[in-house]
Amino acid sequence: MAAEPWEDELTRALAQQFGSRIERFAAYVGQNFLVAECAAVYDIVEALRDQWQFDYLAELTAVDFPSRPKRFEVIYILYSFARNQRIRVKCSAAEGERPRSVVALHATADWLEREVYDMFGIEFADHPDLRRLLLPEDWQGFPLRRDAGILDMDNRWVQENLGIESGQ
Amino acid sequence: MSQTFLDSNELVLNMGPQHPSTHGVLRVILKLDGERVNGTECVIGYLHRGVEKIAENRTYQMFAPYVDRMDYVAAVSNGLGYVLAVERLINVEATPRAQAVRVILTELNRIASHLLWLGTHALDIGAITPLFYTLREREEVLKIFENYCGARLTTHAFRIGGLQYELYDGFEREVNAFCDWFIPKVDEYEELLTNNRIWRERLIGVGILNAADCKRYGVTGPVLRASGVAWDLRKAQPYCGYQNYEFDIPTRQNADTYDRYVVRMEEMRQSVRIVRQAVGAIPDGPIKAKVAKVLKPPVGEAYVSIEAPKGELGYYIVSDGTLNPYRVRVRPPSLINLQALDQMVRGALVADVVAIIGTLDIVLGEIDR
Amino acid sequence: MIALLKKILLVDLLQGLWVTFRNQHPKHLYTEQYPLERPKVAERFRGAPRLNINPDNGETLCISCDLCAKACPENLIVVTSVRNEQTKRKDLTTFTYDTSRCMFCGLCEDACPVDALELTQDFELASYTREGLIWDRQMLEEGPKPTRYTR
Repeated sequence: MAAEPWEDELTRALAQQFGSRIERFAAYVGQNFLVAECAAVYDIVEALRDQWQFDYLAELTAVDFPSRPKRFEVIYILYSFARNQRIRVKCSAAEGERPRSVVALHATADWLEREVYDMFGIEFADHPDLRRLLLPEDWQGFPLRRDAGILDMDNRWVQENLGIESGQ
Repeated sequence: MSQTFLDSNELVLNMGPQHPSTHGVLRVILKLDGERVNGTECVIGYLHRGVEKIAENRTYQMFAPYVDRMDYVAAVSNGLGYVLAVERLINVEATPRAQAVRVILTELNRIASHLLWLGTHALDIGAITPLFYTLREREEVLKIFENYCGARLTTHAFRIGGLQYELYDGFEREVNAFCDWFIPKVDEYEELLTNNRIWRERLIGVGILNAADCKRYGVTGPVLRASGVAWDLRKAQPYCGYQNYEFDIPTRQNADTYDRYVVRMEEMRQSVRIVRQAVGAIPDGPIKAKVAKVLKPPVGEAYVSIEAPKGELGYYIVSDGTLNPYRVRVRPPSLINLQALDQMVRGALVADVVAIIGTLDIVLGEIDR
Repeated sequence: MIALLKKILLVDLLQGLWVTFRNQHPKHLYTEQYPLERPKVAERFRGAPRLNINPDNGETLCISCDLCAKACPENLIVVTSVRNEQTKRKDLTTFTYDTSRCMFCGLCEDACPVDALELTQDFELASYTREGLIWDRQMLEEGPKPTRYTR
């Protein structure tokens, strides 16, 4: 199974509006997605919300691909109540790149972006309050990056506090 | 009337993480002006176990028991979402028999989850009696789970491709008996609560979250339906054969805590309706579709969401073609619903905070993962 | 008017009290007097692990295939074996099962091709030490021996 091209009224209008800022439209296992450049995502999400009734941000998350030149992929899953349709907006972000926060468009993105920051270390520009969400504030590193070992923090803690090499 | 001689500093009150009515280890920092709440800040993560990281180090089959431990009062729903997502990735559909059984167990689990919510929510408000009755009824659901798959809470009932266990003798009879017995019990709760003046005074007009705000905050489930939006994933984007069953989506218009109570009560009745239809027509046939023992889904990703008792529960799974999922992301409904807490409690009284946390029906195991 | 009368006569409260009263009857008792009364758990209950032995000759059914250890998400089963030159099979030497980490998901018993490893109906697994939760082959074959209380 490979991703199939996705074309309909919506993609044509978006392609016209954003041109080369959207790299491609595709569908995989019956789910539509579009890949855009990172800087355009805010505008695309805004256009989808205001012109195409995608008024519910179901999910915002990221995936880490360390081997790619732009290692992170940030994923926005939008849903439209009126159209009963889901759409996935994906963009690639390099280490240190700051995608623009969509909190101004969807209030639900607040904690979701904080969680992405917490787990991957992706900083969102213009986020009102970008702090760690689930992990303690003194946590070091970003655990959902592929190169983060799950025992790093444990081992460091026992080395510093108990003077032993490993607690496991 | 302003009394300038009184010091009107904002009072900061720490609620939790060890507070009985936060239903777990949720810490809410309340900013108070007298009895009024000016703002909140939720501190979460006390129960964080790194489920998404664990998934990267397990095979697809091995990870299935872990999802039960997120929303542990609705473990079957969690399991269903996960297996559906993996099945979407490998392009397999469960057999009709498996789908019917999945629907029955998931709906029974929805009843169990709502019962626990009702009992604890009523307890928070000050009505102790319903808790004992709801736990009694929930026990019957858990007995069916125990008889079916051997566990009561963290069931691990479904496997990728279908089911592991064949139905036991008398399953249909037990489920039917439960349905007959349960409906009068719901009426009994309503007798206790619906017209009770304390219950009404405490709930009506408290914690209003209208439809526009629900969409802005991404709030789903009964909270959204109580604001007048008849949106239920079982109807909107049916999965697992839900299109074959007749049921209604209960909605209410006032979007307050009382309406959410009414919606959930009606949802339990609708669940019984679905269970009755499903249990009367379980097709024969195999319980598990053909799935490779060594499961390597093709490279790609899928997002599958289901209507869990608390709202939209989604799984976003990325496969890189190896044995282990490359990334499993869970969209927990509780986390996203909790985010609207701040909006709901602003301007409310301190005592209402307890009612509003209760009405959101959060489970911290799912929020913190 | 009727609403006012209902309010004064406390109809809603009496209605609720009536429900409570109805449920007072002893036949509605649900409490289980554990440990005096022991619950009957389901046939498929997933509790304490057991390594079954062949009742005819007292030999273990386990063929040391290691499939349970590979299926376990928590990686808590360790199986060791030596090759028997006479029968050309593997003989089980040790089998350890760490119940402290077990989440009773049942994947090991699903994986077992000869029904040797089984999760039984025993549910009393408490121990005073952490070491006591790591079960060796003997413990797995004999099963746990909880204290029985009688009336």
